[in-house]
Amino acid sequence: MKLPELKRQNRRLLFVMLLGLILALVLMSLPLYHFTASVYTKKSGNTVVGDEKYQTVRAEVEALAEDYRAQGFDVEINESVLERVNSKGETTSLVTFSIDQVISRNLFAFLQSALPGGHVFRLMLACAALSVLCAALGCIGEEDVMPRFLSRRAAFLRTAAEVLALLALLAVPVFVMMNNFAFGRQLSLFSQGLMTEGKEALYQKMNLFLFDGAAGEAIEDALAGIKPQHSGMIWLLLPVFAMMILCAVQIRHGAVKSTLLKALLYAFVIVMCLVTLYPYYVMLITAFRSNAETLDMYFLHLFPTKWIWSNLSDIVRRGVPRYLLNSVFVAGGATLLAMLCGIPAAYAMARMNFKGKKAFLGFVIMSQMFSPVVLLIGISQLMTTLHLNDSVVGLMLINAAFNQAFAVWLLRGTFISISPEMEQAALIDGCGTVSALIRVLIPMAAPGIVTALIFVFINAWNEYTISTVLISTAANRPITVGITQFSSFNMIEWQYLFAASLLATIPVVLLFMSIEKHLTAGLTSGGVKG
Amino acid sequence: MNALQGKRKWVPYVWLLPSALLIAVFVIFPILIVFKLSFSEISKAGVIGDFIGFQNYIDAVHLPAFKTVMINTFWWVISVVGISTLLGFIVALVLNQKFHGRKIARSILVFPWATSLVIQASVWNYIIKYEYGSLNNVLLNLGIINQAINWRSSYTVEFIWECGVGIFVTVPFVAFCVLSGLQSIDGSLYEAATVDGAGFWNKLWNITLPLVRPSLTVSTVLNIIYVFNSFPIVYTMTKGAPANKTDTMITYLYMLSFYDRKKGPATALSVIGFLILCVCAGVYMLSVMRKEEEQ
Repeated sequence: MKLPELKRQNRRLLFVMLLGLILALVLMSLPLYHFTASVYTKKSGNTVVGDEKYQTVRAEVEALAEDYRAQGFDVEINESVLERVNSKGETTSLVTFSIDQVISRNLFAFLQSALPGGHVFRLMLACAALSVLCAALGCIGEEDVMPRFLSRRAAFLRTAAEVLALLALLAVPVFVMMNNFAFGRQLSLFSQGLMTEGKEALYQKMNLFLFDGAAGEAIEDALAGIKPQHSGMIWLLLPVFAMMILCAVQIRHGAVKSTLLKALLYAFVIVMCLVTLYPYYVMLITAFRSNAETLDMYFLHLFPTKWIWSNLSDIVRRGVPRYLLNSVFVAGGATLLAMLCGIPAAYAMARMNFKGKKAFLGFVIMSQMFSPVVLLIGISQLMTTLHLNDSVVGLMLINAAFNQAFAVWLLRGTFISISPEMEQAALIDGCGTVSALIRVLIPMAAPGIVTALIFVFINAWNEYTISTVLISTAANRPITVGITQFSSFNMIEWQYLFAASLLATIPVVLLFMSIEKHLTAGLTSGGVKG
Repeated sequence: MNALQGKRKWVPYVWLLPSALLIAVFVIFPILIVFKLSFSEISKAGVIGDFIGFQNYIDAVHLPAFKTVMINTFWWVISVVGISTLLGFIVALVLNQKFHGRKIARSILVFPWATSLVIQASVWNYIIKYEYGSLNNVLLNLGIINQAINWRSSYTVEFIWECGVGIFVTVPFVAFCVLSGLQSIDGSLYEAATVDGAGFWNKLWNITLPLVRPSLTVSTVLNIIYVFNSFPIVYTMTKGAPANKTDTMITYLYMLSFYDRKKGPATALSVIGFLILCVCAGVYMLSVMRKEEEQ
């Protein structure tokens, strides 16, 4: 299949890509970065702006600036005014004059300086260039072939062009962020003396980059007040690379819109997953950091510098196994009870006809509407009467009761979906109703039962409010209440809090993942949330 | 059917008995207790006195924080339910597409739903700490910001964060509800619509929305109830401070009865909350029952 029109179009697209590359190179060679370093400051107290003293100092500074300019430096004069009232009640100002040297650098200067970010910039350049090259190579000899009939070689090269252009695009924000980090945060931490690790090396590189190595020993002072600004121009690289991606996509697939929609879909999913996992990342890394590191304002890493496994043994010593055991007991007992009561009820609802069936259904759904919290006062009163205050058994009973609705509802749905013929056959063979239920129906309904079981377990495991109110003895706490002992009013031991949280979270998340599919089906028929 | 039931009419009720008993004792009975207490005089020590009519209700309405708390509760429910329904719907639409790693994405989305709210709230509490929180740390280390940002500069901002965490944990539930509705839609409907020249928005409006409306109704009403009842997020992140400015009704009544020892007004508030829930529950039951009848 040969199309002269396609040939023309591909050539045009390649040309645009090349143009994009040239445009990017031009942008990079512009002086996009400005640094303002103060080379001289003069303070003048007890003055009023515009008075005689001010004029003298101003002239003095200006003369000095002229000197600098004569030596070939690009300097400007800045003044800042601080007003204050002196002992006589007069308002005077403290005027600070500073001679600032403006240093402009383009992006290619990074290549020589070996500053952090340099290799990202190199990668960006290489990707952009290679992308054009790959696209061109992928077109040679097959310029006029429809995308879906391309040879394997050409298809691979054109895909590579797309991916490389995308990498170049992604490198832009990474590069900017690395620069901001080095010139903003790292430098300010160094100059405030809050950090010393790696200071010499960075200073040397900056010296090379900003002053061509001329600053020598004075580099520390020169960098102390430095203010980096990059003009917004650098972001123009983004549309340039985006245009290159569009061209590459058109060359590879022919259809830009559907490809971009697909890319958008993946981008959305990736962002969603990152946001969802972020708190779990925080929980994980904080659980293994030392106490000092969790409270460190100047923590410069995304992961712990040393994984402190002893946090785990520390929380074991502080009662966490006991809390986990309580939770297992409460959640396990509640699940067992909810099932023992729920299965017969669901069976009757699914298989028998009787008066008041609808009313019972309403009764069950109603009970699901009330979280224990609104009824806290009533429940605590009831528990005191039953002498179940501060006991694990009491918690178990309440969790079973408040999860009854879901159990009955989901099980009823499962039972209805199974045809009653097998049980009827069993009954005719002389089984009682109970043994027909146990031997025939329950094995067949196993997936639904397991789903209900796990869901009730998770709900009971995660329950917090009732437990805080009812449980006052430390030894009876379930894990959700137990972890709060690590966050007292004046001190929070984050590493222990999150290590215990991690232990409490992993099992339920795994359990939940295993029933997600069945639960989704049961949800819209039953409609219950934890 | 009747072969299973036998001839004795009382048999079904025996099967129902354990379940009914459990619900009656631990759900219905506390409701009655709360009702009774709300009309009784209760001393600071918790001793229950005589019938005093509506005095507790009058006290409750005249509490200094009553108005703030009610307004907060309103915003809390509206914003969390509204925004998470919208987001959840979008997430469900995306997850309903075919793409690589769909199973992994679905498993990841389960995380916030399966995690205990106290734990979730504690983690966010750490994330938005000003001095050493993870969000500032990550943003600073990535070079996105140069100066630590105070994420909890005022109680309004803190309340917005609480709503944000509420939304974060509610979106998966909505998404999975809508997803199950989406998966039951017959694919040939879309094909027919495409043949007729319907665009994306047209299909969304005329096919998808009407067909997932039942699941959306269920999830929305349930969310209203659960978000209204939600306690751990607000309690863990701010404890309602400063001066009940970030309290919702549920955390407020907890503080009232277990910290301030004002059990009387607290029970009255409980009953008010109970009545609000009753209205929601009624709406929910009507919609579920109607769906039952359709099947």
